[in-house]
Amino acid sequence: MNSVHEGASYLISNYVFPNDLHVHWSMMIVLYPYLSGLVDGAFIVAALYYVFGVKSLKPIARFSLIFALSFLLCVGMPVMLHLGRPERNLNMLITPSPSSAMAGGGYLFMVTLAVLLLLILFLYRTFLVKQQRQSKGLKRLFYQVLTFGSDNLSDEALALDEKVIKFLAALGIPVATIFHGYVGFLFGGVKANPSWSTPLMPVIFLFSACVSGISGIILAYIVIKRFRKEAVDTACVRTLINTLFGFFILAFSFEMLEVFSHHYLRSGYHHMVEGLLNGPLFISFWIWQVGICSLGPLLILGWLCLLRVKDSAFVIGSAIVSFILLLQVLFMRWNVIIGGQLMSKSARGYTEFHPEWFDKEGIIAVVFVMAVPFIILFILSRIFPLWMEGKSEAQGAGGK
Amino acid sequence: MQSTYNSHVKRIVVGLIVIVALGLAGKKLLAPKSFGVYGHYRADAIEEAAAIEIRHGTNASCLSCHPFEAQIHLSGKHSTISCEFCHGPYADHAKNGKKIGTLPVKTGEEIKILCLRCHNRAIQARPGEVIKTVIMPAHLEEQKVKTTHICNQCHHVHAPLRYINHAKRIVGMQEAS
Ligand code: HEC
Ligand code: HEC
Ligand code: HEC
Ligand code: HEC
Repeated sequence: MNSVHEGASYLISNYVFPNDLHVHWSMMIVLYPYLSGLVDGAFIVAALYYVFGVKSLKPIARFSLIFALSFLLCVGMPVMLHLGRPERNLNMLITPSPSSAMAGGGYLFMVTLAVLLLLILFLYRTFLVKQQRQSKGLKRLFYQVLTFGSDNLSDEALALDEKVIKFLAALGIPVATIFHGYVGFLFGGVKANPSWSTPLMPVIFLFSACVSGISGIILAYIVIKRFRKEAVDTACVRTLINTLFGFFILAFSFEMLEVFSHHYLRSGYHHMVEGLLNGPLFISFWIWQVGICSLGPLLILGWLCLLRVKDSAFVIGSAIVSFILLLQVLFMRWNVIIGGQLMSKSARGYTEFHPEWFDKEGIIAVVFVMAVPFIILFILSRIFPLWMEGKSEAQGAGGK
Repeated sequence: MQSTYNSHVKRIVVGLIVIVALGLAGKKLLAPKSFGVYGHYRADAIEEAAAIEIRHGTNASCLSCHPFEAQIHLSGKHSTISCEFCHGPYADHAKNGKKIGTLPVKTGEEIKILCLRCHNRAIQARPGEVIKTVIMPAHLEEQKVKTTHICNQCHHVHAPLRYINHAKRIVGMQEAS
């Protein structure tokens, strides 16, 4: 026990600074980019239809936007739960520092919300005006607010709406991209953390965001349709799966490229990052994120996209692969955010993360934060019908 | 309300302008008055910080009234350690040369916790060359005593090696004879 080398081995192994023992950016900071990534991905699906005219996506175009809005409304929640003094977040907006990405993020959030909200109100305007005409009292007032007090549905007005929709959807692409790219940038910009501080970080976040958003849409679409015993539009799902395949190949390649470049460059802290991935993160990174949740889906997606698969099998396969990819992205966020903080600045040791149950950033809070967007989605679906098939006014928007 | 084909768009544009204007006005009104005078912070913060009463007096402030402890303290291995780290701040205790309040004096288990804040080897980051660390209860087992012993039963809190060196001297004398 009291050998000569005892002291020396203590010095070179597991030497963690006291201020590194605790993982400060905990599960809420994992959820934050996860939620904003879902928003981003769902928006991309809608943009494919409204901007790039991918017609087969029509059945889920509106749903994607409402889905994106439900999650966008909750993006701030995990961050607020994380803050010790959440009411002070406003200070950042009142006196934004040009050198602080966080303040920029606050403003970006507002712009994203405005664009998405306006886009939805314009898309549903025909429907909302009709609702307004049918209703009385408070309900009427509510619809009047949503239609900005105009019930003009003349051809001229609809033509104008169409232009505005195109404009907003096109504007939405850079806005959503910057909004989520900024989240990745926040991590990429942390110079002190060798596993985050790479210019690849925003790119990886963006592509995995698209993967999670598209997967979320596919899974939610199939589950809701099954639940309501309605037919699933397989042409639409096939397009989504093809898109998903493309985005996932890119996302996964970049994720691996990052590991490879760390390994190849062998920069100052390379041994820490390598030790992290092969040590504390071995199970959650190599086994789960890379093995089960990436190679698995690549095989399934290859099967779905490259071979002729029967519709019924295709739908089941799509639901499964979407679910696994949603997990993949969650693991990726976990491994980047929690994982990145397990390294001590001493560059000699790793700490451990102990999630708590009843903390305001604990497991119960995580379940709560993940449940709220679905509750909002349900409430929004009472105002904005998610599916417009079989309704003649559907062509009123999108103009396709 | 008669609406034309583009009245909703006009209203939205006006609405957005109003929101932005309100936001800018709010930003102006809510921003602290002295913000930005010298830089990206509240200038008043400097005076406010300067006006905060000093709470710590350093060891020098204790020595005049506690010559007995001071003499022991200065003679031992803890001579560089702040009295106030272990006892609390000067401001709670003395003012203008008079005692105004009692400082907590640690006893029993509290002493153990206090000592281990600096001497615990379980905190990996302590540079061993500067602060010698012990692992509990192995340290007590090595001394062949019950693990319920408190640090100050063997170490004088103000000069930790005082008794131990004393004991060694006695033992050394016995060995010599
Ligand atoms: C390492 C922590 C530590 C430091 C540093 C320290 N003390 Fe103490 N002191 C204690 C503890 C613990 C006790 C009570 C236990 C004991 O006396 O064994 C104590 C007791 C005392 C007492 C006696 C209190 C009483 O009523 O029993 C006085 C007075 C005192 N210290 C003054 C000082 C002064 C003055 C300094 C600085 C020159 C100082 N101490 C530095 C830990 C410390
Ligand atoms: C103005 C003189 C004065 C100064 C300065 C002073 N003390 Fe005291 N202190 C006293 C007196 C008087 C007592 C009570 C008599 C006694 O127990 O010796 C006392 C008691 C204590 C006690 C025992 C607990 C208590 O409050 O009764 C501690 C511990 C102590 N002092 C620590 C300090 C430390 C640490 C400092 C420096 C930050 C300090 N003292 C500075 C006068 C002073
Ligand atoms: C504020 C941190 C701190 C606290 C609290 C503290 N010590 Fe120390 N102690 C030190 C430092 C620093 C040294 C080494 C000083 C030097 O070598 O110049 C030291 C030295 C020692 C030594 C001598 C080690 C050697 O052989 O050189 C012993 C024994 C010791 N402390 C015991 C204690 C005990 C018992 C307590 C609780 C009453 C205690 N210490 C509380 C910081 C602390
Ligand atoms: C039974 C008596 C006893 C008790 C109780 C005791 N120690 Fe010691 N301690 C010693 C002796 C004796 C030494 C000197 C060992 C030597 O020089 O080989 C020592 C040495 C130390 C050293 C220096 C270690 C080194 O590497 O040189 C530290 C630090 C220390 N003790 C801290 C503590 C702390 C903290 C406590 C309470 C949690 C404590 N001791 C309780 C007897 C004791």
